[in-house]
Amino acid sequence: MPAKKVIETKKLNRIFKNGEIEVHALTDIDMIIEEGEFVAIMGASGSGKSTLLHIIGCLDRATSGEYDLDGVQVNKLGKNQLADVRNQKIGFIFQSYNLLARTTALENVELPLIYDRTGQFPNSKELAQKALEQVGLADRIYHKTNELSGGQQQRVAIARALVNNPALILADEPTGNLDSKASIDIADLFVQLNNEGKTIVMITHEPEIAQFAKRMIYLRDGQIISDKMIEKRSTKAFALKELEKPVETP
Amino acid sequence: MKRFLKIFKVAFISIYKNRTRSLLTMLGIIIGVGAVIMTISAGEGATLEVENQISGLGTNLLMIQTKSEHKAGINVRMGRPINEKDFDILKKNSVWMPQLSPLVAIGAQAIGPSGYKSTMVYGVSYDYFYITSRALQTGSFFTEDDVRTAKKYCVIGQTIREELFPGEDPIGHQIRIDKVPFTVLGLLTEEGSGGMQDMDDIILAPYTTIQNRLYGHQNGYTMIMASALSEDHIADAEMEASELLRESHKIMDGDEDDFEIMTQIELQEITGNVTGILTILLGAVASISLIVGGIGIMNIMLVSVTERTREIGTRLAIGARESDILTQFLIEAIVLSLVGGILGIVFGILGNQIIYKVTGFFIPTVGYSILIGFGFSALVGVAFGYFPARKAAKLNPIDALRYE
Repeated sequence: MPAKKVIETKKLNRIFKNGEIEVHALTDIDMIIEEGEFVAIMGASGSGKSTLLHIIGCLDRATSGEYDLDGVQVNKLGKNQLADVRNQKIGFIFQSYNLLARTTALENVELPLIYDRTGQFPNSKELAQKALEQVGLADRIYHKTNELSGGQQQRVAIARALVNNPALILADEPTGNLDSKASIDIADLFVQLNNEGKTIVMITHEPEIAQFAKRMIYLRDGQIISDKMIEKRSTKAFALKELEKPVETP
Repeated sequence: MKRFLKIFKVAFISIYKNRTRSLLTMLGIIIGVGAVIMTISAGEGATLEVENQISGLGTNLLMIQTKSEHKAGINVRMGRPINEKDFDILKKNSVWMPQLSPLVAIGAQAIGPSGYKSTMVYGVSYDYFYITSRALQTGSFFTEDDVRTAKKYCVIGQTIREELFPGEDPIGHQIRIDKVPFTVLGLLTEEGSGGMQDMDDIILAPYTTIQNRLYGHQNGYTMIMASALSEDHIADAEMEASELLRESHKIMDGDEDDFEIMTQIELQEITGNVTGILTILLGAVASISLIVGGIGIMNIMLVSVTERTREIGTRLAIGARESDILTQFLIEAIVLSLVGGILGIVFGILGNQIIYKVTGFFIPTVGYSILIGFGFSALVGVAFGYFPARKAAKLNPIDALRYE
């Protein structure tokens, strides 16, 4: 039985118009991501990787082309339906965490469930608690955002992305604001979640973090220039050992 | 409905989590509402005070006096003085003025057994009490006979009693007015001390006595006071007095009067002008405080929404609809405006009370000041809470997230 397609795009284009100037941020992106994949999207800044992630995440719409997310034809949906898709099918993780200030970890994680319109999560507190346990913050659920370290805040954000049991987890430079060790911890957490069956798409420009994924897509100038499986995946132990190595200074 | 309750809870939590910001927002509203209530009420209070003083002068009142012009800061008498002859003519011929009283006013030093005071002494006839509708607390007025025979009797006001007879009953005692001894017959009821003139700082005595002993006869009367038959006949009385006096003074047709007749209506018109100016002034002050308060509310609301654009972006990204965000911000704005407005009303009323306690100047808290203050502040609060939030909610979530 073939794996279920979570993402399928056909000839996806995104053109930004700024007065007379047209910028082709994405050109004819054809991409299929199946359930249970862990994909790292890489590319230099301006390569269109963020634009792609925004379109995949239903935060932005393609100028042309088709996009199916978990069986839903997203490019035909209105604003409110897009919001509902984001709420039900996607978990977002941002570089700068984007947690609510002065609010406990538990309340932050509960947030997506407040906007749920399907009524399938009557026990939002329990679910939030479980998600926090899943990311290893069981002892921090009543800590406020500002009482947590960067790595812990990103874990809260990950728990928030998990709580509604989405079809897809999207991470936009999740380790961009973290030090090397915390970055490795977060990458390792993604691996664990992926092992539990979560489909993850992550943007990063750090090759050693991308190496934790199963598949790597490389973008340049709005086009996919390489898309291959990672043969030698990194592990936490390996990455930590690499950190110990003295830096070669020329 | 359940959704609304959820969002309601979100709004309340948001207000609570951001206590400082919420308090600052409310402070703007509190000050705005309080200032408007206090300024408008102060204007109303002043108007009321002036009106009270006017009606305290008497009813259907006419005051007839020699024409005077204000020159270099003093009143210069222009015609010949109003005198006994004028009074007799009016008394004999008037149809519309049943009560008439001469009034001879002097400033004098009154000395009692336990104190003294510089005050105004009015020489009047018995009719004066009717004309000005003054009543007695104790004792009696002097009679027509007392006036005719120029008895050294007097009736005093409450302020005089306090100064001259502290804690004593003045009736039957003697006081000296510029060295002339007078017997106190009566004590007037308290009229209330106005801002301009203390209506209780007064001594009334027969005008004959004042003329004989203190004022002299050559200058006539200070004025003649009269009351018209009824309010409807004030104009008739005025015309009648004018005709009688023109005849008496032998003023040719076409020449100007050498006397002035002031009626209650004219007095009210004059004070109406004064209070009108006062109201405009206070209205201007109130408008300024409204604008200042409004700008304060507007600023904090705009700043807080700008600050919260990223939060809005986050909420949109995790699946909030535009309407969810709008509902939340609208509830927040309404709650803050309501609570702030109510606190502002309390603050305004308390402020009025404190001013009354401290200065004795009564400020009635008028209903429409509450309405204007509360309404305007609530409107500004809600509008500037809602519209920037609407703008932010309409943003592309990506732009909202990137917002710095």
